Amino acid sequence: MASKAPPGTFKILYFSSATTITKKDSEFLPAPLALGKLFDTLDENYSGIKAKVLGSCMVTVNLEYVDIEEDAERELKEGDEVGIIPPVSSG
Amino acid sequence: MQSQEPAALQLRIQELEAELAALRASAQEASGDIVTSAEAREEQKESNENLPLLLDEYRRYGRQMIMPEIGFDGQLRLKRAKVLIVGAGGLGSPAAAYIAGAGVGTIGIIDHDTVEHSNLHRQIIHSTSKVGMSKVESAITYLKDLNPNPTYIPHVQALTSANALPILTPYDLILDCTDHPSLRYLISDTAIILNKPIVSASALRTDGQLIVLNDPPGSGPCYRCIWPNPPPASTVTSCGEGGILGPVVGVMGVLQALEAIKLLSRPAPPEQKTTSMTIFSAFPQMAFRTLKMRGRRKACVACGEPADAKDKITKEAMEKGLIDHIAFCGTSAPVGLLKPEERVDVREYMKVRDEGKEHTLLDVRDETQFGICKLEGSLNIPYSEFESLALAEDTASKIPESLQSILAKGLPEAPIYVLCRLGNDSQHVTKQLKDAGVAGGRVFDIKGGISEWAKSGVSGPFPQY
Repeated sequence: MASKAPPGTFKILYFSSATTITKKDSEFLPAPLALGKLFDTLDENYSGIKAKVLGSCMVTVNLEYVDIEEDAERELKEGDEVGIIPPVSSG
Repeated sequence: MQSQEPAALQLRIQELEAELAALRASAQEASGDIVTSAEAREEQKESNENLPLLLDEYRRYGRQMIMPEIGFDGQLRLKRAKVLIVGAGGLGSPAAAYIAGAGVGTIGIIDHDTVEHSNLHRQIIHSTSKVGMSKVESAITYLKDLNPNPTYIPHVQALTSANALPILTPYDLILDCTDHPSLRYLISDTAIILNKPIVSASALRTDGQLIVLNDPPGSGPCYRCIWPNPPPASTVTSCGEGGILGPVVGVMGVLQALEAIKLLSRPAPPEQKTTSMTIFSAFPQMAFRTLKMRGRRKACVACGEPADAKDKITKEAMEKGLIDHIAFCGTSAPVGLLKPEERVDVREYMKVRDEGKEHTLLDVRDETQFGICKLEGSLNIPYSEFESLALAEDTASKIPESLQSILAKGLPEAPIYVLCRLGNDSQHVTKQLKDAGVAGGRVFDIKGGISEWAKSGVSGPFPQY
């Protein structure tokens, strides 16, 4: 997970139940991409992930919370690190 | 030790001790604190009305009181504080132990559950001798032995939308140590209405999350600000289903106690508010990440002003029972995909084995569980392989040739019996195989899975996990 994003990509990290569907904890996706298009892009790669995970998850960019609706216009830039963080509710 | 000392020296020690006691007594008389009876002097050893803490407490909390972060005033604030720990499980166990150890004055614990063997690898305040006892009673027995000074308040019941307001009201801080989204929303909504902060933690498998919510009260964020939509009920996994590593949930519970102690011992909330979430991943390489959060969400239905004022979660709405947290999070209905004749119980399947009937036993548990225990002669194809087929709609109900050939295993027309852990996944797979016409449609689900096989004892003692 420590590796840097190759040119023209951003890094995306998957946590908890997101990894159950992606079967990986990180990957690189083509940059730039509008934040508002992130979920649809992921759903194309992982059919069903939007309904199962993304609709209820939190998203961070460079370790900061972002609001997927309010910040929809924000551009994910080359080298950014995006986190897909579903709620963990057990204990 | 004394026997080795010369008698004269012993005598001198006794004389000096007597002198010292006399001096102390006269000093107390001079200060107006007259101690007359021997009994009262005995009591004096443990308490002094002029001191805000018991002498035992000075000794007990000394190591944390000498730190400027806590100090004497911080210790007094801890003593005056009232904390409610919701859930006495994997998070609540270490959290309660450290909070009681630190000298929080009033500690309430709410849980409706009883201690089970499968809890003991992580719920460290319970023990083998307490299996079957209520978790609250078991926890308080442990905590009283650890520190008899706090007042412990047992709540042996489930927290519900109907009782949450009165139960949370007397407390200053709520620790969310629960195991279900509906409880997390319930605690958050109630604490927002009552203006109380929450220290919330969670853990599953190898991951944990920690956040202090609504601190100081009114500033947010609340649980709904961060996660306005609950995860679909069918995707919610408990520790019983998904697994949990003891130290993972342990570390989250310990961090929860730390945040609680910091919050309760400080003189005032910090002027510059920053909320962060700590996420912990134990694998592949251990990592803590600190995420910068935002405050209250303007349109939050619990702590903000929703576009439609009717959506606002108010005290009145809670009291009238209009906020149904269980319905909000949904419930996953028991899987009932199959007709009765498409299912067999463990005894019927035992008969198939006893009579030596030609068949394939398909175990769809994952490889890890298959490695714990299995029935002799079973074929393992994990459920995830069938699930991914169902996800891609155009190939739904089609079984790829590669799987077909594994399934056939030289017995193309023999019936298939499908087994999983609890009897849910096996129903999905049975339906998929039947729909695809595998084995001439002679596919049967084994009710209750390998768990029922073990419990029923049809094949003698069998591992239960």
